[in-house]
Order: sequence, then C-alpha cells, then structure tokens
Amino acid sequence: MNALRFVGTRLTSMVFVLLAVSLLTYAIFVLLPADPAQLACGRPCTPERLETARAFMGLDQNFLVQWWNFVTGIFTGRTFGSAGAEITCPAPCLGYSFVLRQPVTDLIVGRLPVTFSIALGAAVLWLLAGVAAGVVAAVRRGTTVDRAIMVTAITGVSAPSYLVGLLGILLFGFTLDMVPVNGYVPFTTSPVDWAWHLVLPWCVLAFLSAAIYARLTRAQMLDALGSEYVRTARAKGITERRVVTRHALRNVMVPVVTLFGLDLGVLLGGTVITEKVFSMAGLGALLLDAVGNTDVPLLVGVTFFSAALIVVANLLVDVVYGVMDPRVRA
Amino acid sequence: MTRNTTRRRSVGAVSAAAALALVLTACGANDKDDSATGSPAAAQQGGTLHILTSAPSINWDPATSQNLAITTLGLVERRLTAWQTNSDGSTEVVPDLATDTGTASDDGKTWTYTLKDGVAFEDGTPITSQDVKYSVERSFAPELTGGLSYHKSLLTGGDDYAGPYDGKTLDSIETPDDKTIVFHLDSAYGDWPWIVSMPAFGAVPEDKDDVSTYTTTPVATGPYKVADTQEGTSVTLERNDAWDQSTDEARTAGPDSVVFELGQDESVVAQRLIADAGDDQNAFGATFVPAAQLAQVQNDANAKERLVTSGPGALAYLAINTEAEGLDDVKVREALQYAVDKQAFQVASGGAIAGDLATMLITPGIPGREEYDLYPAEPSGDPDKAKDLLADAGWKDRPLRLVVPDDAPTRAKAEAIEQGLKRAGLTVKIVTQPAEVWTQTVTQGDGSKYDLTLSSWQPDFPSANGNIQPLFASSQIGDGGYNLSRYSNADVDALIEQATQETDTDAAAALWAQADRAIGLDAPVVPLIYTKNSFLHGSKVQNFEIPDFPAYPNYLKVSLAP
Amino acid sequence: MTLDHADELVVPEGQPPSATGRRTFWHRFAQDRFAVAGAVTVVVYVVVALFAPLITRLLGVDPYTYDLAALDATGAPAGWGGGISAEHWFGVEPLTGRDLFAIVLMGSRTSLVVGIGATVVSMFIGTVLGLLAGYLGGWVDWVVSRGVDIMLGLPALIFMIAIGAVAPESFPRLLLLVLVIGVFSWSSVARVVRGQALGLRSRGFVRASQALGAGHGHVLFRQVLPNLAATVVVFATISIPGAIGAEAALSFLGVGVPPPTPSWGRSIGDAVTWFSSDPMYLVFPGLALFGITLALNAFGDGLRDALDPRSGGRQ
Repeated sequence: MNALRFVGTRLTSMVFVLLAVSLLTYAIFVLLPADPAQLACGRPCTPERLETARAFMGLDQNFLVQWWNFVTGIFTGRTFGSAGAEITCPAPCLGYSFVLRQPVTDLIVGRLPVTFSIALGAAVLWLLAGVAAGVVAAVRRGTTVDRAIMVTAITGVSAPSYLVGLLGILLFGFTLDMVPVNGYVPFTTSPVDWAWHLVLPWCVLAFLSAAIYARLTRAQMLDALGSEYVRTARAKGITERRVVTRHALRNVMVPVVTLFGLDLGVLLGGTVITEKVFSMAGLGALLLDAVGNTDVPLLVGVTFFSAALIVVANLLVDVVYGVMDPRVRA
Repeated sequence: MTRNTTRRRSVGAVSAAAALALVLTACGANDKDDSATGSPAAAQQGGTLHILTSAPSINWDPATSQNLAITTLGLVERRLTAWQTNSDGSTEVVPDLATDTGTASDDGKTWTYTLKDGVAFEDGTPITSQDVKYSVERSFAPELTGGLSYHKSLLTGGDDYAGPYDGKTLDSIETPDDKTIVFHLDSAYGDWPWIVSMPAFGAVPEDKDDVSTYTTTPVATGPYKVADTQEGTSVTLERNDAWDQSTDEARTAGPDSVVFELGQDESVVAQRLIADAGDDQNAFGATFVPAAQLAQVQNDANAKERLVTSGPGALAYLAINTEAEGLDDVKVREALQYAVDKQAFQVASGGAIAGDLATMLITPGIPGREEYDLYPAEPSGDPDKAKDLLADAGWKDRPLRLVVPDDAPTRAKAEAIEQGLKRAGLTVKIVTQPAEVWTQTVTQGDGSKYDLTLSSWQPDFPSANGNIQPLFASSQIGDGGYNLSRYSNADVDALIEQATQETDTDAAAALWAQADRAIGLDAPVVPLIYTKNSFLHGSKVQNFEIPDFPAYPNYLKVSLAP
Repeated sequence: MTLDHADELVVPEGQPPSATGRRTFWHRFAQDRFAVAGAVTVVVYVVVALFAPLITRLLGVDPYTYDLAALDATGAPAGWGGGISAEHWFGVEPLTGRDLFAIVLMGSRTSLVVGIGATVVSMFIGTVLGLLAGYLGGWVDWVVSRGVDIMLGLPALIFMIAIGAVAPESFPRLLLLVLVIGVFSWSSVARVVRGQALGLRSRGFVRASQALGAGHGHVLFRQVLPNLAATVVVFATISIPGAIGAEAALSFLGVGVPPPTPSWGRSIGDAVTWFSSDPMYLVFPGLALFGITLALNAFGDGLRDALDPRSGGRQ
C-alpha cells in the first residue's frame, strides 16, 4: 500500500514538473522579441508570405494553445500543413523544427549517441578516479598524498571547463598531436575512432568532476572509518584492506551513487560548453543553435527531454537509495 | 544580401545570390589577388574532399534552400542554368539542365528552355520537363517556404498559387513535351536566366517527393548523391553514376566522395587547416578565417600559400538611424563621419587583409564608380572636427545604442566604433543580441530600439543598383528591408527609380554615381571598409577559386591532388 | 548544466554557537595553511578590485583606450610576450592594443560583483524557501520541492541567454546577470537548508519553544536560522566561484556584460583563438579567474573542515 502511494505521489510530481518546465520554456521564448516565421519566410519575404508561414507554424495561436498542442502531440502525434504535403510528426512527437525541417524527436534521437557517449564515458572515468582518489586520501589522511589529492581536487573544481577543454585541445591536439582535435565518429563506424575522438572530452569532464567525488568519498570514508562497526571489525582482527573495501566503502557508496545519479541525469541532457568546445553535435549544441535561431519548438522539445531525464534520474536515485540503505526502506 | 551574421544557418545560406544582374558582363573588373585564382590545374579525379563548416545541418530541399549556385546544393542538384566562374574572377550564367540560358519571346515575358539529352536522376530515370515544373510548383507550397522566392512574384498567377499538393497546377508553366518547358511572366524580365539558376529550378520526381524527408534525402541530379547523414556530425556524398560529365560544363566532379564535417568551430577549422595534417590536407574551410588565425597565417609561409582572399566585396558600414532623436540632424551625422575610427575598425576586422578603407557606397570594380570623399580625414578620424560639428549642432549628450549581433567578431568591431566615437565626447552603449533578435530589431517595426548598428552588404548582383537600392530606398524601411538607417529622401528615391529604369548602361552608371554622392551628403551611414573574405584549404586541394562575385569559393570545381 | 556543485556539503546541524566553539573553530581554521592562503588571496582580490580604478590611474593605463601603434600589421601585439613592456605590464590586447593589465584588473570588479551579488541572491531565495519548506512542511514543502525539481530541469545557460534577450535593453546588464545567475542557483541551497530545517524541527530546543507558545516567526528566525548560519556561510563561500564561473561562461558564449566593460570570461573566450600566436593574452585573464575560484574553494573547504572536524585533515 505504502509503496504504491509512494510511487503514485512521485509520478504525479514528475508529470507536474515536466509540464511546468515545458510551459516555462514556451513562455520565456514566446516573449523573445524575434519572429521565428521571419526565418521560414524565404527571400524576398512579402507580408502575405510571412502570414502564411506564421499560420503554418502555428504561431498565430496563443502560446497556451501552442503549449497544449505540444503536450497532446507527445501522445497522439501531430501533422502540419494541408493534405498531400502534410508533415507528419508521429508520437511521441516533441514538436517540429521549422528551421531544421525535421521532427524534434528525430533530432534528439540523432544527437543522443553523441551526448550519451560523452556523458557515460566521462562519468565512468570520474567515478572510478574520484572514488579511488577519495579512498586513498582518507586512508592516508593527513599525509602528503592526502594533501596532494585534495589540492588537485580543488584545482579541478576551480578550473572553468571551457578553459581546460580548450587548453587540452591546444596542448594534446595541436602541439603534441596525440589525439584528434575535435569532431565525433559514430561507434558503429569505428569503435576505435569513436573512443579515440572522445578521449579528450572524457578526460576534461572527468578532471572537473572527479574532484567533487574525491572530496565526498574522502569525507564519507573518514566518517565510516571512525564508526562503531568498523572499529568492531578491526577488533575482530580483520585486515585493514578488507575493512576498507568491504565495510567502509559500502557506507560511502550511498551518497556517491545519489550524487552520481543526479549528475548523470544532468549530463545526459547535454553539455553545452563541452560540446561547443569540442565541436561535437550533441543535445547541448542543438540547444545553443536553437537559441540563436529562435527555434522555439526545438528549444521546448529538447528542454522537455532533458528535464525528463533528470526527473527519471531523481526517481532512480531514490529507488537505488532504498535498496542500498535499508534504513530508508523502513 | 550577404550578411556575415547569418552564416551559421545552413551550408551556403550565406548569400542570396539572386544575381538579378542587369548587365551580365558587369563583374570581373576587380584586380584579382594572384593567390585567389592561380593557374587552373586540370581537374584531377579521385580522393575524398572534406568540407569543414560551422553549419549544424544541410537542407537539401530545393524549395526551402537559399543556397548559392556554386556551393553545397550544386554538387547534388542541377538547375536549368548554372554559374561559371572564370579564372579572371568573372562569373557568368551558363546552361545546366537546359541546352541554353533561355530563349525570350513575347518581348521578354515568355522564356523557353529545352532539356539536354542524357540528363537523369540517380536511379537512371531521364529528367523530364514535368519534373522541373513540379520542382518549381512545390516551392509555392506553404509547407515549403523559406527558399529564394524571387520567381514567386514574377510568374503569372504565382501570387495566388499554393503548391501542387492540393492537385492544382501552375498554368504559367507549360510543358508541351518531355523536353520543353515554357515560363510565362507578368512582365518582361531580362535577368530570368539568373533566376532559373536558383535551387527551385531543379528537378524533383513527384513519386519520390515526401516533404517530411526531402530535406535529408534528395534525389540527386548532379555528380554526387547523399550517401550517409550523421545528424549534426557529417554528411557524406558519393558519386552519382547516372550523371554524365559531357552534359555539364559547370562541374568538374574531381573527388570520388565529399564529406561535410558539420558544426565546426571557425577557429578550430582554421587551426586544423594551418596544421595541414592527415585528411585535412584534402579539406577546405567553408567559414571565414577569423582575425586571430589570419594573423597566424600571415606569419606562416606554408599556410600563407593556402590562404585565398577575395577581392574587396561587401561594404561594411555603420548605419545611423536617421529617425532617432538628435540623429535626424545632418550635422550630427556629419560629426559621426569624422568621429569614427575607421583604422581601428579595420584592425578589429583583421587588418589590411580583411578589407580596404571605404569612403563611399558603391564598391570597387562596379562600373561607373566615381571615387569621392566628402569627409576627408586621417584613417583614424578627426575627433576635434567632430566635436566642433557637434557643438554647432547643439548636440545634447545622450547614450547612443549601438545594437549588434552577439558573435565575437562583430562585438570586437562594435568596440572599435565605440572607442572612436568616445574621443569626440559621444557616449555609446553597445547592446548585443542573438542574431535573429538583432534582425528583428533593425529590420522590423518602427526602429525605436536602436540608434546605430553595424552591417555589411554584398550586392545581390554586380551592379550599383545592388549597392544602393536595398540600403537607401525609402521603400526598404522596416518590414524586413535593409534600409537600416531608415533613410528617406524623395530626391534620392526619384534618382534610384530613374537609374533602375535607365536601359543605357553608361547613363545608368552615371545616375548611380550621382545617387551615391547625394546620399553621401546626407550622411546616413559611415562607410567603413570594403571587406575581403579569406578562406583556407589543405595542401592537396586544387582549383580552389573565389570569384569577385560572389566572394565565396566555387565548390563545383574543387579537385584533389593524388 | 549545473551551475553549482555543493550537494556534498556536510555541515552538522550545529548547536547554537558558543564562545568556546568559535575559538576551536578559528584555531582549526588557522592550522589549515591552504585555507588561510585562500582567505588571504580572496582579501587581496577584493582590495585590488576596490582600488582598481585608482591603481590603473596611478599607472596611467585604462582598459578602454586603443593603441594601434602597439600592434603589428596583422593586428597581433608587437614585441615579445604579447607586447609586454614597462608601459604594458601584461602586454596588450590583439586587434585593439588596449592595456591587458588594466583589463584584467578592472575585470576583477565584474567577476566579484557578479559572483558575490548572485550568491547573495541565491542564498537569500534558497534559505528562505528551504527554511519554510523544511519547517512548515505540507503543501509549502511540496511546492518548494517541485520548484527545486523544475529549476534542476531547466537548461540554465540557455535560459540565461534567452532572458538576456527578453529583458529591456534599458535594464542594467550587470544587475540582470546578478539576478539571473542568482535565480538559477538557489535550488541546491534550498535543498540543503530544507533538510537541515527538517532535522531541527524535531529537535528538543525547537519543540520546547513551540510548546512555550512561540510563534512560527520567532522559532524560525530566533531558533532555527541561527543554527543554519554556519551552513549558509560555508555554502555561500563555495557558491561564489560557481557564480563567477557562470558569468565567465556566459561572457564566453557572448551574452555576459556588454563590451567594452572588461570581463575575464570574454577575454578568455576571445583569447582562446589567439593562443597559438599570442599565448599571454589567455594566460593573464585565465590565471586571474582560476586564482580567485581556487582561493574561494580553498577558503570554503577550510571553513567547512573547521566547522566539521570529521572531514578535516588532522585529528
């Protein structure tokens, strides 16, 4: 009963949040003093043709109506234009980009491999590096090693991502000629080239984020190592290595996984700066281009999708939290 | 109407390229930079050409594309006519799908074309006049707006036609047989051969037309077909075996395949091409070389050989909103002429290689151009004289809003203007806006939201008409027009009308020169520089040429060294 | 993209601060050399930012005057190291010849004003909402929690760009940046404060006050808030670099403070393209930005460690 109600409340909240996010996105971009129909009008553009374009794009409607069409379109699909030449946007339709002349869903699906490749690789890297560094720092606390790790971590947190990224391109790409400078190669084309092109963005993102995980792991680890049950374990004569890996680490994983889930959710929604720096066409780059073109349907669609990822990640984190930490389940 | 600020939209959307040339031979008078042309090497066959572009996607639908005849779409889709760029820098219209550039009858109101033998779609089906008619018709559909639309008001009945999808046909296009197509116009139009070089005048097979997907999967008629599209990342073209070189004089089809690398940062593109490593030796940049890399290239003998700079093309200018408070006083505008620091602007654009200083409107090389300088001063301006003029005019200092698009190069130029005007005691507030918002601010509405703006203008066709009419005719204020100064002078309007109607070339040129000077006296704009576009290519790229008009490379003739 | 990254903040919900507590706190903080160095650096930056106009005037430089004579024919700075000379300590900016030292110095004002201002805004919103949500619970909690979810779901940078374009051009850009960055970073503060307020609500001294008939306002501001002060202060310290970074990122994307007002982010964005021919143009503003974020992070870390011995280095 309780579990059902929990799930029910969570789902209601999720739907509410997603509706609010899409409505807010519509509201802000409708206020933008630019006319998206102007771009779709062609040249030379007569006032009559501008009107036609506006009607075709649905811009002559109130933005609340536009928003509602967007919401219903997710379930029923949408069509634009008249019979014979209608542009179909099958469900789940997240809108139609009149600038790129493609359904937003297709664009998202097309860009997803790029964003996922960047995000997942970087996340694995920083999780491993961050947790390892944090454990080592905690076990060796107060030593030079601990100090060095924590200073590196703070440096990582402090460095602006675009600066590190661009310096990485200049140093490893151009000067040392070790890795490709930019661009994305699909995994299906060549797994080796795929990984090779992604090494630099992975490392840059990992360098920036691992720091946070190292600090978190260290703090949690210290907490665990000083706790009652670890002391008991030690008293029983269990080796320190076993104490750390079996007992303390388990304690660390709960908050780390929580943070990881949230971060990953955000990252999967697109990394604007990283994608721009490395000329990779993921969701972040899609959004940035959409702003320049005032491509409202694309902005709303991608924002909605990203928000959905974050909301789902939140939910998963809660579930995992329950599994890993029995105290929560009670 | 080439505006650098819009170049991100799609490959080659940089330019209108409508080329309503009154005089086809008018171009080509520019002194060419030797590096721009070089000696034409024979079109070597083979290799994979890489084109590095900042555009995030390519729109292959001819109805919605504003592509130049000599760039991306031209590789895949032929039209009735094409542009031939010659090594002397001139550009002429030549037959493409048609056997000639058109036969006029009925005093220029009817144009007849015959299709060549041996032209076919990628599946081998011969192209018929019906396919061409259908391609033109579909450009009228409201679902397919956004392309070059000059023909829509010229064809009889075009204003009321809404595309073929509801079963209606456009009767002013006749196809008496499979090879012949006839266009009926409302009035005589001597430049129709240029109009039919636009994307819509290609061929689209009706049974393969799906408006939802034609954007990404067109049916090829040119030497290449679209083989693979990685959304946002790359588009790969492969040879189209149904294309026959002997039917095509505009394309050499050297490379076996062409790969567009999309969404590339301009500066990284330039860096890659300077480095000239691996596949980049077979690549060229479709984006301008940024100022920083221009400086780098000029100090790098190897890269310098691979830099191609166009002749002086677009006029870059500071538009003064003549309807704004205080700026409606010609004395104040004259003061601005002296206050502006053109040298700083030139340096901000990248130095001498980025353009020559300008004092007047008609760009160099245009027939009838009479050099004049109404406000002589050092290249850095004369702030003292400006101060005197402002004092005479009783200028009450108020912040002048200089509204510009928010890209880095324009911002640097805006700062150069700001510091220049500040020397004369003027206060300038730079307002940066996303590109489309800027367009709205300066070309729509009552213009109350800006005092100054920066723009550059490449004429749509190589004639003084293209320099003057779009920027200074009072009909071009607001509603999307590019009279950014909101300049309205009945005498100048009359002069423009007179010059447009003048059929004698020399007489027209003289009238345009007269109009240029008349506008100059009212000082609605400060001419800054005549810009030059620079492009880089890899060491194996051959036949990379930039004509005087348009100042963009001709993709159709590029080939690769083995 | 998240603008702040402070989820891991671990400050125990403290007892009302006592004199001895304060002494041990400062003692612990003083032992952390890295944190002290950070604090000193922050003070230096603030002093420099305050006196930047005076310093530049004394040196006879300013960030606005062009000096084309300092450039070569290509627009790059003439001379060694980006034009470093007795007159131009950091060299000059390419294409303009403006003094880079003055630009970096004056740029500190932009960064600090936005960094501190936006943090004040986000702390205020986050603390108030988090406090109300945690303390009152019920529908207030639901609304605030959904608000946090919504803020997390919105692409912050994209919205900042859009709001910049929507706001009337007469609205001061610096203030707009402060507000926008602040409004987009309150959610994590609210989350942490809510959690702590939730914990405090059930604590003895709060319950006692309520039992004695103290009003909500009294309990909130006299009992709960003081106990959260340490958390908020530490949180604010480590949020400032995030806000500074956000301003720099926006300027990097071309939508920050309008030129010619100096901004490190814009300088870095411009300098990146010049790196091959003029590396010093990137080095100075880059180091300045990196330095302040590093110092603030070190300072904030030290503060937190001093407040929470468990995470500290030496025990």
